Amino acid sequence: MLLDFLVVGLSIGLVYGLVALGISLIYSGLDIVHFAHGEVFMFGAFFGLVLFNDLGFSYPITLFVAMILTGIMGIVIERVFYRRLTKQGGGYTVAGMGMIICGFGMAIILQNVAYLIWGAEGHAINVNFGLPMLIGQVALPKSYLWILVVSVGLMALLHAGLKYTKLGRGIRAVAANKDIAYLMGINVPLMISLIFCVACGLAAAGGVLIGPINYVQVEMGYLILIKAFAAAVVGGFGSLPGAVLGGLLVGVFETMGAAYISGSHKDIYAFLLLIFVLMVRPTGLLGTLAKVKA
Amino acid sequence: MKKTTVGLVALAAALAAAGVQAGEIRIGATMRMISENGQKYGQMMQDEFDAINAAGGINGHTISLSLLNDECKSDKGVANANKFAYQENVHLIIGSTCSSVTLPIVDVTAQAEVPQIIPHSTNDQITRKNSAWVFRVPISARYYKGVVAKYLADNVGTRIAYVYASDAAAQSETQGIIGQMRDIYGVEPIYEAQTQEKEIDFRSHLLKIRELEPDAIYFGGLAEPIARFLVQSYEVGIPASVTRAASSAASNAPVPKLAGDAVKGVFFSAAYSDSDTRPIAQLFNSLVREKYDIPSVDHDFSQAYDLVRIVEIALGNAELSLEDDDLAADRTAIRDAIANVQGYEGLSSGPISFCADPTPQCRDGNRTPVLIQYTKGGEDFEVGILDRVTMPIDFGL
Repeated sequence: MLLDFLVVGLSIGLVYGLVALGISLIYSGLDIVHFAHGEVFMFGAFFGLVLFNDLGFSYPITLFVAMILTGIMGIVIERVFYRRLTKQGGGYTVAGMGMIICGFGMAIILQNVAYLIWGAEGHAINVNFGLPMLIGQVALPKSYLWILVVSVGLMALLHAGLKYTKLGRGIRAVAANKDIAYLMGINVPLMISLIFCVACGLAAAGGVLIGPINYVQVEMGYLILIKAFAAAVVGGFGSLPGAVLGGLLVGVFETMGAAYISGSHKDIYAFLLLIFVLMVRPTGLLGTLAKVKA
Repeated sequence: MKKTTVGLVALAAALAAAGVQAGEIRIGATMRMISENGQKYGQMMQDEFDAINAAGGINGHTISLSLLNDECKSDKGVANANKFAYQENVHLIIGSTCSSVTLPIVDVTAQAEVPQIIPHSTNDQITRKNSAWVFRVPISARYYKGVVAKYLADNVGTRIAYVYASDAAAQSETQGIIGQMRDIYGVEPIYEAQTQEKEIDFRSHLLKIRELEPDAIYFGGLAEPIARFLVQSYEVGIPASVTRAASSAASNAPVPKLAGDAVKGVFFSAAYSDSDTRPIAQLFNSLVREKYDIPSVDHDFSQAYDLVRIVEIALGNAELSLEDDDLAADRTAIRDAIANVQGYEGLSSGPISFCADPTPQCRDGNRTPVLIQYTKGGEDFEVGILDRVTMPIDFGL
């Protein structure tokens, strides 16, 4: 049974990790905490719902197109609503605080827009994954396998993209210092838009992957955001490997807590882990000392 | 400052009075209208009262319905009830859908002395408050749990695992079944757990349940959590041979739509089944399907309809002056008229009767649950009736 719980914990942890990656990516690039990221995740799931159920796309194509659409939505949100504030700086500046409030507002707007379009009821992405795979004593549902393969693939792709491509190096330069990156000839606004695009695309992948298991509804973003924040903080805010590690730890820790202590208090375990990590290592497991960037 | 305050109070009173029309029966309804079906339950009530008005009203009086959405939130429900009782000066309050909202509203209506008639809430504590102003059209959880417990013990087995959501109705129904199994059959649950609020991932519970090899698993909750629970029960490998049962919210259409094939074989108790073959039920099903674009009619529609009919009967029998000065007397007359409704036979699975004592025996009007089983899931789901049982009036007290 331990292996069963581990599989469940890893599958949900990878989804937390995907959303936490986006949050950390935006934070590392802009020094802002994006509170509307849960709603972006929710929109990605709804795009997946429409593409799969209504337009008849296959599941892999649905995943890909939902990521693209949500990425474009992220660019629009950043350019139309956030740009004026992000130009003024993030972190502990007035604009940085304004950005946080703006994020809250955006979350409410996105939730209400989704409510107007799709209503409050839950919807199932009707993917037929077939029978679970039997690996020894463990029955592994194929939906979990999809989560595992797609999440790890996307994380590897992001890592390679950031490390080995020119665009990736540009994003990392902007994350390190926007002013110097600008002086080095990097198109900083474009990189910021790209950061939002990738972060929102990752959130959409999480939404489409979890959609067939937990259903798609307007309130799903709030729930995932809390866990993804916990994951990002446990891993070290702004650290991309940390976000993945944090997601996995939160997922496994809460599932094991539910399995061996009490299933009625699952959320507590994630936050106990958060408090414990912050007490032992305030910057998170893979985080560095917080600093305010230009 | 003092003059300004007095002036504002006078102005507010004048405006409130201007908004109230003498000669019309004012009804306030607070319901959960955040889902498509929830809105349609409200719309159905509005349409039925409009139809009464179009046919000449009741004893020459038209009905004015004020419909508010409480979103299944207690604070909003209480605010709505206070608004109805003290600002809109309604003669009757209808509400609410969720038991957790209805429970605190009972205190508001008792304090304000406004009759309250409940369309959908099942928690048995609602009528155990012994308010003289409360009447319940749906079946109380105390009856539901008795029927489910008996069916499980007689037909399925006694190794039962229970998981229930944090809402008041789910707790009440599930704890009731556990209590019945304990009291009547001497059986303890092999697993019992309450989920967190808004929990969406039940796999930790289900994996533990799977290892216990139960005869049946029971889930108490609202429609969407029930659907999630059913789907996830198959994901973790609980075989189809394990019977799945759920609380009365399983009758709501989102459950088979969301759960798909996972809903097949699931049984629950409800007040109405759209596979009911009575002519009145067939006619009602056609009306709802056509008018509200609903493929399958659940018991919340039938209960909303029955409630309007009962209100119509009671208002027809009540002697009302409908003058502002007689508001308290009119409210009392409506309360007494509802208490005199006896043997109403509409869509409900059995007759609905009320009486004057402020006790559950008198105020839980319907005591005939139907046991229903899903035979097919998805958009075009199908159900069959397993049994229909009229419970003893004191059952579960």
